[in-house]
This record gives sequence, C-alpha cells and structure tokens, in this order.
Amino acid sequence: MRWLVQPTAGARARPPVALFLVFAALALAGLAMQRIEAGGLSPGDVEAFYRGVEGGEPLSAAALWEEVHVGAFVYGFVLFMLASLAAVAPRLDGVRTALVAAAFAGTLADLFAPFVVAARPGLGALRVATFAAASAAMWALLATVAIAQARGGRVAGA
Amino acid sequence: MRDPRLKPFRLPALVFAGFLVVQATSAAALFALKLGGGATGVRTFYLGDAERFAPAKSLAGLLEVAVPHLVAIPLVLFAVAHVVAFARALPTRAARALAALAFGAALAGIAASFGVRYLGPGLAPAKVAAFALFEVTLLAWAALLVAVFLPARVDASAREEARARADTVAGAAERIAK
Repeated sequence: MRWLVQPTAGARARPPVALFLVFAALALAGLAMQRIEAGGLSPGDVEAFYRGVEGGEPLSAAALWEEVHVGAFVYGFVLFMLASLAAVAPRLDGVRTALVAAAFAGTLADLFAPFVVAARPGLGALRVATFAAASAAMWALLATVAIAQARGGRVAGA
Repeated sequence: MRDPRLKPFRLPALVFAGFLVVQATSAAALFALKLGGGATGVRTFYLGDAERFAPAKSLAGLLEVAVPHLVAIPLVLFAVAHVVAFARALPTRAARALAALAFGAALAGIAASFGVRYLGPGLAPAKVAAFALFEVTLLAWAALLVAVFLPARVDASAREEARARADTVAGAAERIAK
C-alpha cells in the first residue's frame, strides 16, 4: 500500500500490477469453471450437491464451513487487492465505492448461501444467483481496474 | 484518520477486516466441528480412536492441511500488519509485538498438530491454546482496521479537528480585534 500511494512509484508498479490482474482473472475464471463443472448453474444440481441425491447424505456442517474458509481467503484477498488498486486509480470516483460494495456483498452472499440451501429444500436457485452476482461484481471490478491501469500507462507514456 | 492519504483505502481496509472476521469465524467453527474444540478432541483427531474406528492422521493428511496454511496465514498477516503499520494505528513497538504474537501463534498451532501426532498427546492443550491465541490476534487486527478506517470515527475526528482549528482561528481573530 505504501508504494501504491506514491505517485512517482506508479510507473514502476505497473508491470507487477498488470501481472497480478492477469493471475486474478485466471483465478476467477478457474473458480467459475470449477463451479460450472460441479453443476453450479443448475438449481437442481446445486441442491443435490448440498442436500444429497434422493435420500443420500447431505453435506456435513464441517464441509460447509470448509467451503466458507477457503472461499473467504480467495475472495477476500483478491477483493482486497482489487479494491486497493481501484482506490488509487484515477477517474473512478463515481463507480469505485459501488463496485467494491457490490463485490463485497455478492461474495459474502455466495459464501454463506450453501447454509440456506442445506437448511431448506427448493433453494438451489439462490446459490446460482449469488454465484452469478459475485462473479459479475468481481469481473466488473477487475475490468474497471485493468482499464484504469491501461489508461494510466498510456497517459504516463505520452 | 491521521494521514489524509489513507482516506481512499477506507473501503478496501474495511472489506479486508470483514473477511478477516469471516476467516476467524469459519476457523473457529471448523475447530469445534472437526477437532471437538478441546484438548481431548484434539488428541482423538490426530491420534485416532479405536472405539470409533477412526485412524490416526497420516503425514500426508497433516501436510495437506499445513502447507496451504503455511502460505495463506503469512500472506494475510503480512497484508494486515502492513496496512495497520502504514495507518499508524498502533505505536511501533505494539504493532511489532502483535505481529510477532500472531505469527508465533500461527506457527505454534501448525507445529502442534505434528507435535500431538508424533511427540505426544500432552501437546494437545498447546494446540488449543495456540489456536485460541491466533484467533484473538486475528480479531484484534480486524478491530484495529475498523478502528482506524471506520467512517463514523473518521468523520468525528475530522469534525473535532476542524472545530479545534476554528476555535483557534476565531480566538486568534478575537484577540487581534481586542
């Protein structure tokens, strides 16, 4: 954060920031692929995963908390980095707070939605919706930061 | 907020504090659900229980948990300690002590898992104590972030500062007029 707030360090910081954004995009894409492969876009499949198929064993409370534990690290760290980069990106005054707040709310909802799906039948669609909302918000924030970084680079180069 | 350059980082810092609380909560839930929350449960978890047909943890199983934590915990602690130090939320000595305590508790917790399994069940209380201490330090970091970056506190301190400045200016003007 120290070098992020020093304007003179901006040019030096740009290459590692660009590489971080590439890796963050790959991580988000991988997360989405993983979720889609596990039936994350079908309410029925989501419900079967958490509540068990036709009288099968539902996912244990420990497994649900494990998903929260891992997800909070991935979402939390990527969001913290993207929000910090958005904080120093110029010309984002109107959208910065909305983007970060939407990503925070979306990811938290996505992390805790499985508890609701596991507790009550017929709520598989909730996890699909929270996944869509969290992904959309994170991608929007990432794209905004990437565009701001690219613009900053062009201005510095001119 | 003492440094105006911190203002843009209010939201990222509060978001990070939120996720630290989620991390601490989920870790506590997992500790209670999987390890029983106490020394007896920790012993059973790592050494197994013949009556319940639960085998002792293998080295591969211990490493599977330890390795991701050896990467994730230092990364999170490094980031939060960096932000707290940058915001000058604590005196340097106190910040260093909290960082040392947090890193020490994390390392002790990870090492105690191997200790209980390979050195002796007597280390189970140490595992519980290290985990509890780490949880406390994690929540302390989150609380520090909130204390420094919470908008209400920032606005109140800014108002107080402005009032003090206005009082000084008004007082000085009055004195000059007199």
